[in-house]
Amino acid sequence: MPVGPFGLDPVIWAPLRLIIAVLLAVGLVFNGALAQIYLERKIQAIIQDRLGPLHTGPWGLLQTFADAIKLLGKEDIRARLTDKWFFLAAPSIVFSPMLASYVVIPFAPGIVGADLSVGLLYLTTLGSMTVLGIVIAGWASNNKYSLIGGLRSAGQLISYEVPQILSLVTVVLVVGTLSMVGIAESQPGWQMNFLVLPLAFVTYFIAGLAETNRNPFDLPEAESELVAGFLTEYSGMRWAIFFLAEYGEVTVVSSIVTTLWFGAWHGPFVEVFPLLGVLWFTLKTYFFVLVFMWIRATLPRLRIDQLMSLCWKVLIPLTLVNLMVTAILLLAFPTTLVPVAIANWILLAGFVLALPYFQRRRLVALRERLRTAAA
Amino acid sequence: MFDILEPAFFALLTIGIVGSGVGVVMANRITTSALLMAFAFLNVAGMFLLLGAETIAFFQVLIYVGAITVLILYGVMFTPQSPRPYGLFFQTQKWWAALLVVPIAIFVAVVSFQFKDSPSAGTKGGDLLPLATSVFRDFAFPFEVASVLLLAAMVGAIVLVKRDEE
Repeated sequence: MPVGPFGLDPVIWAPLRLIIAVLLAVGLVFNGALAQIYLERKIQAIIQDRLGPLHTGPWGLLQTFADAIKLLGKEDIRARLTDKWFFLAAPSIVFSPMLASYVVIPFAPGIVGADLSVGLLYLTTLGSMTVLGIVIAGWASNNKYSLIGGLRSAGQLISYEVPQILSLVTVVLVVGTLSMVGIAESQPGWQMNFLVLPLAFVTYFIAGLAETNRNPFDLPEAESELVAGFLTEYSGMRWAIFFLAEYGEVTVVSSIVTTLWFGAWHGPFVEVFPLLGVLWFTLKTYFFVLVFMWIRATLPRLRIDQLMSLCWKVLIPLTLVNLMVTAILLLAFPTTLVPVAIANWILLAGFVLALPYFQRRRLVALRERLRTAAA
Repeated sequence: MFDILEPAFFALLTIGIVGSGVGVVMANRITTSALLMAFAFLNVAGMFLLLGAETIAFFQVLIYVGAITVLILYGVMFTPQSPRPYGLFFQTQKWWAALLVVPIAIFVAVVSFQFKDSPSAGTKGGDLLPLATSVFRDFAFPFEVASVLLLAAMVGAIVLVKRDEE
C-alpha cells in the first residue's frame, strides 16, 4: 500500500488536501476582508482627519465583526420582478473565481496550493470570469441603475484586461516563465523585477485598480450617479459576498504585484527560516492593499469617457511600446537586463512627465472652444 | 482508485457539454442560452485539461467565457425582451433536423471508434512550449496572416462606427 504525507493513504490524502486547501482559502478571504474593512475605515478616517471606528472593542477593532454579524442576521430580500436564478447565482459567480485564484499564489517556499506551469495565465483567466457575474447581477436585478452598472463594468473590465495582460507579458518576457513559483524564485535578494520593469508595474497597478472596481475606477458602483450600481438590489449576506469578492480580488491583485515585481517571499532570513516567507509576503501584499486604500481616499472618480480614453489612448499604446522595446532589447542583449531597465525607467519618466503637459494642452484647447462658443 | 477518476470526469464533462448545448437551443430565454453557452465553454475547457492542454484550456475560458459571452450578454441587454415558446426550432423543423443529425452522428461514431487504442495525448511539463513553438515557429506565417486579417477587421469596424465630426 502506498503511503503519502503524514502516513496517510493517497486515496484519503488527496481529497483531504483539497478540503484543507479550500477551507484555508475561505478563511484567508473572510479574515482578510474583516481586516481590510477595518483598515479601510481607519485609513480613510486618518486621511479625512476623523477618528474612525472607536467604540466597539479596543480601538474599534470589533466593529467589522459586529457588521459581519449584522449582515449574517439580515433578511434575504429579493424583489419580486428580479430574475430569480440569475439573481441568486450572481454573487457566487463573482466569488468563486476569486477564491480559486488562491491556488497558485506562492506564500513561501513550498507553501503554495499548486505550482501550475501557466499560473499567471490561470490568474488572468479567473480575473476575467468576474465580469460575467457582475453583468448578470446588473441584468437580473431588473433595475435601471443596476443595468447601467453592469454595462459599465463589462466595458471597463474588458478594456482594462488588455493593458493588464500586456504588462504581465512584459514581466514574463524578462523572467521566462509563467509559473508563479518560478517568477518568485527568479528574484532572489534585492534583485526585484521592479528595478527592471517599473513602467510595467505602474501600468499593471492602474489596470488592477480598474479590474477590482476600486477608486478612481469604481464607476460600476458609483454611489453619486447610480445609487450603488449592480449592488442596488442586493442586501444582507448576498451583498456581503460581493464585498468579500472585491476585497479578495484586491488581495489577489496585490499578491500578483508582490510576486511579479517585489520578489514574493524574499526578504531577510528567509533562507534560514522558510516559514518567515509568509510574513514577508503578507507584509508586502498588505502594503499594496494600503496603497489601494490611500488612492481611494485621495483621488476623485473618473468620468466614463475619461476612463475609456485613459485605457485605449494612453495605457494600451504605452504597454505595447513597452512590450516591443523590452522584447527588442532582450533579443539584442540576451545576457544582461541593464538596457531593459534603463529603457523602462526612461519610459516611466516620460509617462509621468508627459501626462501633466498633455492635460494642460487639453485644458487650453477646451477653454479656447468654450470661448469661441460663447462669442 | 484514481484510474476511475479520469473516465468519471470525462463523463461529467460530456454530459455538461451535450446537456448545455441542448439547453442553449431549447431554452426560451436568450439570457439562459447565453449563460448555458458559457457553461458549455467551461466544460470544453475541462476537456482540454483532461487532455493535458492546460494553456489552451485557460485561453478557452479567458476568451470565450470572459469576453465573448460577456459581449453577447452586452448585446442581449440592449435588445427588447420577449419570451419565445420552448423548443421553437424543434417544433417546426423536427424532421429536417433528424434527417441532418443522423448521418452526422453515424459518421462521428464511426470516426471516434477508430481512436480506441491511440496513446494518451497528455504531455509531460504542460503544453505551453509545444504550443508556442507551433504558433511562433512552425506556423508563424499563417499566424501573421491571421493577425493582419484581424487588424483589418478592427480598422473596418472602427471606420463603420465612427461618427462624423461636427
